[in-house]
Amino acid sequence: MSSTSKGFLPAIPALVLLGVFFLYPVIRMLGFSIETGNLDWYAKALGEGLYLQVFWNTFQIAVFVTFFCLLLGYPLGFLIATTTPFWATMGFIFVLLPLWTSVLVRTYAWMVLLGRNGVFNRMLIDAGIVADPLPLLHNLTGVLIGMVHVLLPYMVLPVYGAVKRLDPSIVAAAQGLGASSWRIFWRIYLPLTLNGIFAGSVIVFVLSLGFYITPALLGGGRVMMIAVLIEQQVRETLNWQFAAALSAVLLGFTLAVYALAQRAMRPEAAR
Amino acid sequence: MAPSAELRLESVFRRFGEVRALDGVSLAVESGELLTILGPSGSGKTTLLKVVAGFEKPDGGRVLVDGQDITSLPPAKRDIGMVFQNYALFPHLTVRQNVAFPLEMRNVARPEIDKRVGETLALVELAGYDERLPRQLSGGQQQRVALARAIVFNPRLLLLDEPFGALDRKLRETMQLEVRRLQRRLALTTIFITHDQEEALVLSDRIAVMNKGTIQQIATTTEIYERPASGFVADFVGESNIFYGTAGADGVVTLAGGRTLNVARKVPAGKNVGVLVRPERFSNTAINAFEGEVIEAVYLGSSFKIRLKTADDFAVIVRLPARGKLPAVGGRVSVGIEPDEIHVFDV
Amino acid sequence: MDRKYITRRETMALLGSAAAVGMASGPAFGQAEPPKPASIVVNHSGGSMGTAMRKAFFATYEKKYGIRVVETSPADFGKLRAMVDAKNVEWDITEIGGQDAIRATKLDLIEKIDEKIVDRSKYPEKARSPSVFASSVYTTIIGYRTDVFKGGTHPKSWADWWDVKKFPGARSMRNHPTDNLEFALIADGVPKDKVYPIDFDRAFKKLDQIKPHVTVWWSTGQQPAQLLLDKEVVLATGWNGRFYDIIKKGAPVEIEWNEGALKQGSFVIPKGAKNPYWANKMLHEMSVPQQQAIYASELGYPGLNLESLNFVDAKVKPYLPTLYVEKQFWIDDAWYAENGAKAQELWNAWMLKKA
Repeated sequence: MSSTSKGFLPAIPALVLLGVFFLYPVIRMLGFSIETGNLDWYAKALGEGLYLQVFWNTFQIAVFVTFFCLLLGYPLGFLIATTTPFWATMGFIFVLLPLWTSVLVRTYAWMVLLGRNGVFNRMLIDAGIVADPLPLLHNLTGVLIGMVHVLLPYMVLPVYGAVKRLDPSIVAAAQGLGASSWRIFWRIYLPLTLNGIFAGSVIVFVLSLGFYITPALLGGGRVMMIAVLIEQQVRETLNWQFAAALSAVLLGFTLAVYALAQRAMRPEAAR
Repeated sequence: MAPSAELRLESVFRRFGEVRALDGVSLAVESGELLTILGPSGSGKTTLLKVVAGFEKPDGGRVLVDGQDITSLPPAKRDIGMVFQNYALFPHLTVRQNVAFPLEMRNVARPEIDKRVGETLALVELAGYDERLPRQLSGGQQQRVALARAIVFNPRLLLLDEPFGALDRKLRETMQLEVRRLQRRLALTTIFITHDQEEALVLSDRIAVMNKGTIQQIATTTEIYERPASGFVADFVGESNIFYGTAGADGVVTLAGGRTLNVARKVPAGKNVGVLVRPERFSNTAINAFEGEVIEAVYLGSSFKIRLKTADDFAVIVRLPARGKLPAVGGRVSVGIEPDEIHVFDV
Repeated sequence: MDRKYITRRETMALLGSAAAVGMASGPAFGQAEPPKPASIVVNHSGGSMGTAMRKAFFATYEKKYGIRVVETSPADFGKLRAMVDAKNVEWDITEIGGQDAIRATKLDLIEKIDEKIVDRSKYPEKARSPSVFASSVYTTIIGYRTDVFKGGTHPKSWADWWDVKKFPGARSMRNHPTDNLEFALIADGVPKDKVYPIDFDRAFKKLDQIKPHVTVWWSTGQQPAQLLLDKEVVLATGWNGRFYDIIKKGAPVEIEWNEGALKQGSFVIPKGAKNPYWANKMLHEMSVPQQQAIYASELGYPGLNLESLNFVDAKVKPYLPTLYVEKQFWIDDAWYAENGAKAQELWNAWMLKKA
């Protein structure tokens, strides 16, 4: 008990910081949403087809992005954690590079690559693989590619950490006991890195929910996510009460996802 | 149960950069035998074990099990049971699942798995712990699980990598005897790695003492203790007084400072030799007398351990039966040693 | 807001003005004026606009008064409102959108312009709002690939734009109700001076027809020019300055001015700005015809001082929308100030609708 209270003291500046720069704005925002003294704006956010549809779109896209990040990020994190130091460094540079580049630049780079006359399509056509350019941009495909690219590091890092934490002698033991690489993966690596998978998935999912620039630019206007609507309400329509209500709904949804993930993770986390 | 395999290593080499971890190691382990590889850290014993298990590939030489060359076989195909230093139990699997693992990997039928896991857990006295997770077990219990997992599939060989290091003294002694009993009962060819010479003496049929990537001596426990082949072995195994000198005629060895010792072994005159006197072999004989001042005297229950300093500057450790009064520090004590209690080795 | 950043800027500004004060303290001013601040803050959309403003206005202002001009961006109505509400106004002047300017006036977020300082005598009558300074004119028009539509075979009206048989090819339009609702009505036969009030049903019904042919609904001003450049589309609506920029650099793109939607770029002084006097001085600088000509040549956005065209290079003139005002129509900011939110909501719902 005393160790907990002692451990609490150094955390005070961080807590104050969180309180001032995070908690207070959130409370202010929640205040805005009920400024009119009733829940009308919530009724609008949750009652009108347009907003429900956009919430649902946002959720779907977040699920897709999480799925593809996992599909790419797990093997990538796994390889980086198990390869030689040189390749691990190279892998890290390539995975982290997008984090150091502005979202706008990255997004424009994808436009150059994925367009009808972009590098990708020209290569495919020149190689005779397709006759007409593939629609890779200005649709859901483009948005998913762009978002997965931006969010991939958030999946790779937790997976990398989970694999690194695994005692190598456990893997050696499984080998010695007659397990093939495939069975080692399924019976040892996968269950013992579930924590990393969960953590990565939650981070990617939650970040996906708030995405704004990438869907607007790579979706050709067709892919509408809730952050775009919130931004419209704040900057154009100036309806801050409604913007706050939409944000509160998004926040509530995000917290619910987080809580569910926490619960799912608990038996594993006790390790 | 099929008779356990015999293992042969033929001039195995392995280097890591400039370090020769294994520098031409050859040895043979007989069927059912427990051979201990004893050596200080960095002597190459762990590398040797990894080469046998298949986790390290040798740069040269061969590993043979029952005459079959397994040098390039992956670990999974070797049928060798291994108990790791930290046990390396699968933390997410129960005791039963851990022990069943090697059988599942061999696609053994479920009823057979259940039967053999049950039997093996009974053998290591863990019946009833089936559904526990490793973290819910004590260190000793975890070790038993690791052992059960390593023997449940009737491996051709059992490898034990310093398995008792993490246990406290009492538990460690119990486990040592238990492992030895089990190994005898199953007549399982076993290689045991340790840096603890006492443990090696308790457990082994034979001991291979390793240093700097080579085997210094491979012999029975008594042989290693009584007749070490080198100063390193003599020093590493048991307490020892080691002197160096030159052999003269008629079984006399002249040490530094001119002191002479009468020894039983005949050595060609003029040869440089090492001389080993075990502290407990001193007696009150007048032959080969060492007389000197008591620097240190410790009561150890069954014996007194005394450190003497002679007038000609020899420091000698002596163990005497704990009878009577412990000699006082600063007092004088005189001991001697019979010639046939002195071991002479080549240098 | 990143307070540290501002502080650093302020420090830099202080250092700059210390030097400037030394220079300017020589001649005494006859007129009593408030003390000079170290710097004033001008907030604008950023990008090439900032560069042009510095070249045309800020450089001379700094030289004349020894007051450093600190630039921030982007233009953000939400932030303006928050600043005025919090009585912590960081900007001395800010750019503002047309309908936002009307709402800002209603919400009492902006100061009146000091007519004694800012000379707008050469401005058209309509462009002399008491509190909104009209800085420039821009228009949303058709940009097209000249290698696809050769020798004047391009669409020349919104009816043409909608005629996908005669003018085939991928199109791009803005992901926003403004402009598009008007274009749809004009394409549907509404005379361009009868567009307002907008008939939503009619407009969206017309938009339904063009929806499958619009590959990209753009959201940033740079997009349409880039899309034409990459040949991602062959026709795009866009702001004239953005097309002018790539034409200047030799892109195979041209502009069709007919039936363009004119808008006015505006600057205002936020209520409670720290240096209103010096902010007015800046607005005056922005009204000088020679300076406006420099700005227009840079961006293709002419100012509203009617004399400014006299100072523009002959090569630039054809790319200035003020030359084509008669063929075009003005976006009704007042209507949008009233109906913008609804238009936006209907637009979102329409975008979500499966084609």
